[in-house]
Amino acid sequence: PTEPFALIICINPRLMRHLFVVIDCSRSMEDQDLKPNRLTSTLKLMEAFIDGYFDQNPISQVGIITTKNKRAEKLTDLAGNPKKHIAMLKKAVDTVCVGEPSLYNSLKLAIQTLKHMPGHTSREILIILSSLTTCDPANIYEMTKTLKSLNVRVSIIGLSAEVRVCTVLTRETGGSYHVILDESHFKELLMLHVKPPPTSSSSECSLIRMGFPQHTIGSLADQDAKPAFSMSHLDSSSGPSLGGYFCPQCHSNYTELPVECKVCGLTLVSAPHLARSFHHLFPLDAFIESPVEEHQRNGYDFCQACQGELKDKSIFTCPSCRSVFCVECDLFIHDSLHCCPSCIHSQTAS
Amino acid sequence: MASLSEEVLLVVKKVRQRKQDGTLYLMAERVAWGPEGKDRFTVSHLYADIRCQKISPDGKAKIQLQLVLHTGESTTFHFANESSALKDRDATKELLQQLLPKFKKKANKELEEKNRMLQEDPVLFQLYKDLVVSQVISAEEFWANRLGGINNTDPAVVNNKQEVGISGAFLADIRPQTDGCNGLRYNLTADIIESIFRTYPAVKQKYSENVPHNLTEKEFWTRFFQSHYFHRDRINTGTQDIFSECAKQDEKGLKSLVIQGVKNPLVDLLSLEDKTLDEGYGICTTLPSTSNANKTVKESSNSAIIKRFNHHSAMVLAAGSRKGVFTSLLTASSSETSSTDGNSRDSDFFQPPVKKVKLQEAIEYEDLQRENRPKTVALNLKKSDRYAHGPVPLQSQHYTTSQDIINSVNYIRHEMMNYKPNLTEVLSSTAASSAIAALSPGGVLMQAGAQQAINQMVPTEVQGELKHLYVAAGELLRHFWSCFPVNTPFLEEKVMKMKSNLERFQVTKLCPFQEKIQRQYLSTNLTGHLEEMLQTAYSKFHIWQTRRMMRKT
Repeated sequence: PTEPFALIICINPRLMRHLFVVIDCSRSMEDQDLKPNRLTSTLKLMEAFIDGYFDQNPISQVGIITTKNKRAEKLTDLAGNPKKHIAMLKKAVDTVCVGEPSLYNSLKLAIQTLKHMPGHTSREILIILSSLTTCDPANIYEMTKTLKSLNVRVSIIGLSAEVRVCTVLTRETGGSYHVILDESHFKELLMLHVKPPPTSSSSECSLIRMGFPQHTIGSLADQDAKPAFSMSHLDSSSGPSLGGYFCPQCHSNYTELPVECKVCGLTLVSAPHLARSFHHLFPLDAFIESPVEEHQRNGYDFCQACQGELKDKSIFTCPSCRSVFCVECDLFIHDSLHCCPSCIHSQTAS
Repeated sequence: MASLSEEVLLVVKKVRQRKQDGTLYLMAERVAWGPEGKDRFTVSHLYADIRCQKISPDGKAKIQLQLVLHTGESTTFHFANESSALKDRDATKELLQQLLPKFKKKANKELEEKNRMLQEDPVLFQLYKDLVVSQVISAEEFWANRLGGINNTDPAVVNNKQEVGISGAFLADIRPQTDGCNGLRYNLTADIIESIFRTYPAVKQKYSENVPHNLTEKEFWTRFFQSHYFHRDRINTGTQDIFSECAKQDEKGLKSLVIQGVKNPLVDLLSLEDKTLDEGYGICTTLPSTSNANKTVKESSNSAIIKRFNHHSAMVLAAGSRKGVFTSLLTASSSETSSTDGNSRDSDFFQPPVKKVKLQEAIEYEDLQRENRPKTVALNLKKSDRYAHGPVPLQSQHYTTSQDIINSVNYIRHEMMNYKPNLTEVLSSTAASSAIAALSPGGVLMQAGAQQAINQMVPTEVQGELKHLYVAAGELLRHFWSCFPVNTPFLEEKVMKMKSNLERFQVTKLCPFQEKIQRQYLSTNLTGHLEEMLQTAYSKFHIWQTRRMMRKT
């Protein structure tokens, strides 16, 4: 077969993240200062977070833990498929908020899984804490020491006020701690965690194998059509499919990527997934801002990207190809495209 | 003989077994008996193997203790020390009473866990039936990866039971509701009862002494809430109250705490007093004298409630630390502060807790200092342009070079610049519309149609059976692929065993299924993909075997 088999590539922890999100479900989440109440608002924003997270980190995983009544329990396990997380988040709207949360038990539950993760991935915990107290069975500062030794980074978003324990916890593990002012600030803070955190000097980079299966389509008209069951859908009622992705190592079938092959353990991704992760390694330089009058004098009236008239007060210039863009295109290029359209065009032309 | 690492809990001399004099030893995990003068144990039973113990009734001349094992056999020990036989026997009996339950649980725990997993997950149960019952793989292999957690992690985790802290407000959370007729209803949950027992061990002791012999549980709690012990004004403590002892114990405890004092040199509790500043800021009366005689009733009940609050908080904190975090407390308290006095700063844990450091923490505000950005590491990429294109081939293959592709693109661009559509030679409209139809949803080239067709062609029972085959094959293949890279003799054995398991699976499960569906005249090749997967595994095995042979020669 001529399809690419598998490549060995260097993975940086910023590309493969293992993140646990801990959501406080204690009595304080019934407060209605966020509409309709804190819990509903948090869950809604979490759905948007999950979508954004997998968009920016296609080969990463996330898991959700809830804490109430002095205990913690897993809502979803670490997984790379957003659908399951979003389904459970939608169901969680009905949870009864009761008791006090337990930071210690939530962290303990999270590190049970995180400590088994390989060193070339990042281990992160994000806690959304609304209560001002936590009821722990043991000393939380001991837990902080454990977290440091396991290289886990804990960040917290507080919904009420700054709590000393949270400040120490995040400071010692290298995470961030913010307290929200209102709902839009909450969204902003949450989205800050979509981007991977900067790596500290102690993280490893290692080479791992990945498979790049091609998508095949079969049809019944083929003489030797072989329907196959997808290994990740064996417990659902779906029937066999005639195509999909075949693992280059063991030939198991999957309907979606990225996925970790259940049979041979190879990580299967498609090239665009990796390409999307790469822009974290090669961020696009900021464009140079300048007043629009200067350029209008030179005859530049149109934005290079959208070909619209330059109506804003400032314009942005790409430092390498010197093309001029308007404010909206600059935002779009830096948030979504991650590459200058003129630079790409000029590369292919040469 | 006992290994040096075994801890001996009890030694009883002059114990006869089978009419021989000897000594009985109770160790950490087993009970053993050795004859007099000899170094070896002739009798040794693990606590996990003992089903129960029996003792001879009081009054009988011979004082004996019998151990009955799960297997049915029993061993009898006769305590023959003239002066202390009864005492010895009772001491042994009590120690065994404490130890046996612990080990009983461990032995059955694994079986229980396995049963639970099979009951909860029907897919797993089916897999078990397919693979172990039909002897494709052995039971140990099946459970090998699944039960890995039980023996390695702490028991608290396996039991899915979490250790829970004690909320400081747990007494306040028992909100009494009026009954309607001058009574009050208290709602006690298991959590609250546990909190009460852990915080006030005196109450727990009273509970175990009185329930169920003297009082029912309901009566106990009713008395608890009625007694002044619970209510804030503990002025009358009549001696009929079973909780009066608890109140006295609490007083003693509080006094000893006060004597211990606070070890933090920067805190001077004695200088805290109510001070008045001006009218409206504090009580503008003369300072209350500290002698008891002049205290008004109000002041004494205030001080009583303050005393109770302090005592309650101290007990809650002490109960939390009683849970076995003693080692950390010892290391922390070797310095000048302990972690439970509430006054410690986190400097205790992360810097040497010297007075100087504490003073520095008190006078500096990190908010006002220059911001220290965390040190980040700059990405060091050698040859970063390698990320811009794919891997460069090492061997000469027939690949199109990037230059070729660029040339082709330029050629096409050149062609397109001069392109003029020749409207007499374009596709006919029928061809174009059939191409569009083929590419629209439901068309020939779109998969969805094929999906429906397959679902209708293959009956659901056959699909179900095929899925079971996939699950079983997936499990076997997972074991197979986990052996690579084969770098230990254990993995070599395992990979060869797995290969024969796969072949056995193919013969005993896959082929009969194939014949069955052929008889049903289903034309689609339903097992083709499974066979491909097995074939891929066989080729991998073959390659590995050839390489191995080549290395040996």
